[in-house]
Amino acid sequence: MKKTLRFMAVPTLALAAIALSGSPAMAADQSYQSTLGQLNGSAGSGTITLDVTGDQAHVVLKVSGMPATFMDAPYPHVQHIHGGAQGVCPAPSADKDGDKVISTTEGAPSYGAIVTTLSTSGDTSPAAGLDLKVGGQGASYTVDRTFELNAETKAALKAGTAVVVVHGLDPATLSAAGQAAKSDLAPTLPLAATSPALCGTLKAGQMKMPAGGADTGVTQETGTDTGALAVGGGLALIALAGGAYVIRRRTAGAAA
Amino acid sequence: MGASAPVTLAIPSIGVRTDLLHLGLRENGSLEVPGTGSDAPASWYNGSPAPGERGPSVMLGHVNALGGARGVFADLRNLAPGSEINVSRTDGSTAVFTVDRGAKYSKNQFPTLEVYGNTSGAELRLITCDGYDPATGFFDDNYVIYAKLKA
Ligand SMILES: [Cu+2]
Repeated sequence: MKKTLRFMAVPTLALAAIALSGSPAMAADQSYQSTLGQLNGSAGSGTITLDVTGDQAHVVLKVSGMPATFMDAPYPHVQHIHGGAQGVCPAPSADKDGDKVISTTEGAPSYGAIVTTLSTSGDTSPAAGLDLKVGGQGASYTVDRTFELNAETKAALKAGTAVVVVHGLDPATLSAAGQAAKSDLAPTLPLAATSPALCGTLKAGQMKMPAGGADTGVTQETGTDTGALAVGGGLALIALAGGAYVIRRRTAGAAA
Repeated sequence: MGASAPVTLAIPSIGVRTDLLHLGLRENGSLEVPGTGSDAPASWYNGSPAPGERGPSVMLGHVNALGGARGVFADLRNLAPGSEINVSRTDGSTAVFTVDRGAKYSKNQFPTLEVYGNTSGAELRLITCDGYDPATGFFDDNYVIYAKLKA
């Protein structure tokens, strides 16, 4: 009997562990956010939230309105958290060579070096910074992933110098000199491919950001039992799992 | 204004006058909500800035109540831009806000950064439900009022 119980306990624990790791949003220690602004005549827009829990970062980066294709393939937008400098996006005066394009190098005194690569998969270190395969692909995309924060990025977030930069311009929007120039980072690529398009400083949130909206509607009562039942999202789930009869006869106010 | 917790919320143009509960987040990170009775008050999310303090102060109220009764925020959708919202605070002061706009969002695609994101001034968010689906009995949407502290 005892043996059986102990044996049975294993899958139960395993299930509990799965339930825990699958929970959508553990309360973060600190959340950061930014609405990205346009650089170099970019027409794109973007937002990012970064929730830090322990040494894990959960990033949701949403980008849209960017150039869609590059050499007949989805345009790869390399994107990073830069840090360790002034924590700002470069002003037009950052264009030192006068080609009307602020290159990544010209922007560095403002936003610093790459501290994290916001890759779509795999490596998030600066080493993946120019890997086009793990850049954001095409005009609009979302990167939603959790990874371990390195010390440089942690420090930059704390110091307020962490700046999100999404790279990759439409070459047609550049000056003639800009169109002719090669990338300051990868000479095999045109300057447009690696120059900054969107930029925003990561700021600590004014609140601990709630997950999603609010359950401020009481599910319509259809039965006669008005007994005080516990309400909440959980009950709604139970009611659904209980099948059609339960749903038809739902008697309590499950907040939904 | 400095940080001082809210006590009551009054919206004269739609006849709202309610005490404010102070509620936090659930285990899963979503907002705790007030009770479901017809006399349930509205609530202030105690993780958000105090009303009058810099940032978006977040308040919640049910659109309806148990037994098909009206909730404290039943008329939020009728709240017009320019209307005044008064929040009394524990320090005895009143923060007066002006309604900027209202917006309806699907709960599946709720724009958390737009609603809860940083603001340069003191702002207020009033949240209730919308999008009632008679087939399921659920409310699929949230309705959000954006208001700014009166200068
Ligand atoms: Cu970068």
